[in-house]
Formats: sequence, C-alpha cells, structure tokens
Amino acid sequence: MSTLLNAVQLQRSFHGRQVVKPFDLQLKAGDILGLLGPNGAGKSTIMRMLCGDLAPGGGAVEICGEDLLRSPIQAKGHLGFLPEHPPLLRDQTVDEYLSDCARLRGLARRQRPQALQRTKQLCALDAVGPRLIRKLSKGFQQRVGLAQAIIHEPEVVILDEPTDGLDPAQIRQVRELILSLAEQRGVILSSHILSEIQATCNRVAILREGRIVYQGDLAPSGEISYRVGLEQNPEPAEIVALAPVAEVERLHTDYFRVALHADARVSELSHLIQERGWGLIELTPEQVSLEQRYLEATTGGEA
Amino acid sequence: MILQLAWMEWRRLMRTPLAWVVLAVALCLLSWQFLGTLEAFVGMPTETRTLGLSHHLGLQLFGLAAVLLLIITPILTMRSFSDLFRSGAYSLYSSAPVSLSALLLGKFLGLLLYLLLFVALPGGLSLLLLAGSPIDLGLIAAASLGLLLLAVLFLAIGLYTSVLSENPGVAAAGAYGLLLLVSLLDQHTENTSFLHWLAWPSHYLNLQIGLVQTNDLAYFLILAGLFLGLALYRLDRRRSG
Repeated sequence: MSTLLNAVQLQRSFHGRQVVKPFDLQLKAGDILGLLGPNGAGKSTIMRMLCGDLAPGGGAVEICGEDLLRSPIQAKGHLGFLPEHPPLLRDQTVDEYLSDCARLRGLARRQRPQALQRTKQLCALDAVGPRLIRKLSKGFQQRVGLAQAIIHEPEVVILDEPTDGLDPAQIRQVRELILSLAEQRGVILSSHILSEIQATCNRVAILREGRIVYQGDLAPSGEISYRVGLEQNPEPAEIVALAPVAEVERLHTDYFRVALHADARVSELSHLIQERGWGLIELTPEQVSLEQRYLEATTGGEA
Repeated sequence: MILQLAWMEWRRLMRTPLAWVVLAVALCLLSWQFLGTLEAFVGMPTETRTLGLSHHLGLQLFGLAAVLLLIITPILTMRSFSDLFRSGAYSLYSSAPVSLSALLLGKFLGLLLYLLLFVALPGGLSLLLLAGSPIDLGLIAAASLGLLLLAVLFLAIGLYTSVLSENPGVAAAGAYGLLLLVSLLDQHTENTSFLHWLAWPSHYLNLQIGLVQTNDLAYFLILAGLFLGLALYRLDRRRSG
C-alpha cells in the first residue's frame, strides 16, 4: 500500500519548551491511525502540524509525495482536517458553508453541486441543508465539521476528537462514517478515550508528555499469551521446561500466564499438559489489551 | 483563488443585517448632508458664492462620507480575522490549499467590494443634480476616487488590527486608535514634516477639490500596502507560533 503521509523527526517548541518531541509517523491507504493520550499530551499540536496549521520546529511532512513545508498548497490539496472545535462559519446555512468549503478546496464549479450532494448524504445532512449552522445541535454541527473535511475527497483525513460531545447514537454514526472513509484513504484521529480508538482504529500511537511512547498495530498477533489453569499446581520452572513455552508468570496459586515461542502451537501445549497429568482447567488466549498498553505507556510501566 | 475568496467574503457580508443597516444609515446621513449643502448653497446670495456647488458637495458631502467611513470600517474588519481566530474557524483557511497572501487579499477585496457601494453613495447623490443643474463631473469623480482610496487605506489598517487580536472588540478599538492617529498626525506638525505627510486629511482634501496628484495617490497606496504587508507578516508569525 502506498504511503499517504510521512512525517520525519517532526517536533515543536513553544516559548523554549519542547511540547512535542521528535517523532516519525507514517500513514498508508486503508489505515485508521489513532493518536491516543491524556489531555495535554500534544495530540492537537501534532495534528495541527500535520495539516500545516502550525509550522513545526523541525522535521518534515510529506502528504502524497508533496512536501508540506516547501509546497504547502499542493500538499494541502490532498488533506482534510477537522480540528477539535469544528471550523464553522455559524451565520451561514449548511449548504452555503459546504459550497464555500468546496470552493476553498479548489473544486471546479461544475463539480461542486455533486460533491455537496454526496457529502451531505454521507454525513446525513440532507435534511438540514438550508438551516443556519448556529441553529443546529452540537451533533449536527460536528457532522458539518466532518463534511467540510471530506467534501473534496482528500486522500488523508485528520480528525481531532471527532466524537467529542456527541451522544452514543451519534458516536456510532461518526464511527461508521470514519470506517467507510478509510476504505479508500488514510485517516488519523485523536482521542483520549480508549474505547473510541479501539472501536475505530487499526493502528495506534500513544502519546505521553509530547512523546510518542508506543506506535504500532492495535492488536499485534505476535504478542498473544495464554491464561492457563492447572489442578496440580506445578512449579513455573516445570512449565517453562516444556518445548513450546517461552515464558511463564504465576498469576494465582493455580493460574499462570504462559507465552509461547513464535512458531509454537497451542495444541502442543495442551497435549503436553495432559501428558504430565497436571489437569487442565483453563486455557484462554489473552491479548495485550490497549488499556494495558496505554497504562504502561502513559505511566511509564507503573500500572 | 483571490477572487473566489473575495466573492465568499462579499457574499458572507451581504447576508448579514449589519451590511444593509450600515448602508441604509449611511444613505440617510449622506442624503441629509446633501440636502443641507444644497439648501445652504441655494440660499447663499450669488455675489458671495466663491465656490461652485460641486466644490461645496466635494467638501461637505465627501467630508462627511470620510468620517462615516472611519466609523464603519473597523466594524466591518474586526470580524475578518479576530472572530475566526476566536471561534477556531481560521483552521478552515489555514488547512486549505490557499496561500496566506491570497487569503488576506481575498478578504480585503471582498470588503472593498462592499465598500464600493458606500463609496458610490455621495457620487450618486451628486449625479442626481444633473437633472436640473450642471455639476463638475471631474471634481465628483476625483472626490469619489479619494473616497475609494480612503476605503483602501482604512480597510488595510482595519485588517492589520484584526490579525493582531483574537478579540474582535480589541481589534476594532485598535483600528479606531490607528485611524484616529493617522487622522490627527497633521495637527501640531510642520507642513513639510514626514509626520504631516503621514496624515490622510490633507491628501484627501486635494482629491475633494478635484486635484488629482501622484503624491496623494502614492500616499494612499503606499500606506495601504504597508499595513497589508504587516498583516501578512503577522499571519505568518501566527503560524510559526
């Protein structure tokens, strides 16, 4: 898959204080990358740098092969951005506003009506086209904000807290919309809510005090371990002596967390346990959860 | 893109009640002044008339128009950037494939397009006299040009203060302060001094009486260019934080 966005050693300081430490970030077509971190971790600053709203203190950003700093106009043509507060012109109607957004994004006159229609349909805004934005509910305003970010069908969509302030039904709609967007493009979204990232993203970057402390797939398959319950309560050393076992950690008296070698099969483990006569009570796959990873990353492993 | 932005700004402004109220109030006040000037001129004994009616209109009608312009412009410009900064809507423009200079010039031209309607009012009222009396069309055209250049200068100053603050009220207060400063710089200064040259009234006065001089035209264009340049610099600095 082609790389849509490539940030290299991007960093930012405010008044001599480095609020975003140098980081690299890549986004490919089909990716939904979640920026996860507590409030004030630097998510919005990173997003503003990625969309050219804020000049970075160092590093470079390429969007679809265009350098954001050297050719900002060409690079921004491939980009749609929804900031934390939707950039709405509240005295306009939804139709006027979205038409202006299409114009701003450089859509030709004949393309605009079609783009407007398609985007309104996608964001479920058909019924509110002639209404003034300031008279819409927060949920609708958020969707108008989302519509302005995608009206020109950009390859890269950056969404800062897209579900903030929405009710559960609206959150679900926005999630579905984001998932449908990522079918053809790359999406970066930020949130401080774990479930939000879990429900939508396939990759995650966890931030702590302006530093990306973890970046990778949401559920890496190589890191599956097993919760094993045994009647006979053997010593961990006995378990680790079994061929497929890489590591053992005792959880309770009869329960262990067992990690296998990369090429080992779990059926082998169950067979060997039966052979030893340890009495298998439980054998459950246990993925490293995002919550576990988030807590480890944001508290420096204290959790 | 500049023209697209200008069109968007003009259309946005024309859909607000403010734009129409301002034009309506300005038309009432200018009409009152126009009729007053006319009445005073007609009531004046012929032997005491040292200036023609066109001169009177140039001085009094276009004089009031300049004062009104000084009051109106900061009200229009204060929202141009300050409001966008405050509401966060500025990121709509900053993340769009639009250069900062195109954004600034687009907003400037959009507001100027609206002010053209205002600028046309005193000239339009003066042309009504053509039905019954000869007037100096050259003088009215020169005075209208002066009012247009004044609008260009005031808009540039208003936009500059608008990019300085996230508070539209502060932006308007700043614009009034700067406009009054360039209005009063010719008070208590030597006629030949640079500070005197920086004040607009003497340059505008020449155009009010039909005197079109390169020096005056250059004054308006240089000063407006300077403030637009400063506004652009501030916008760029804002991006750098």
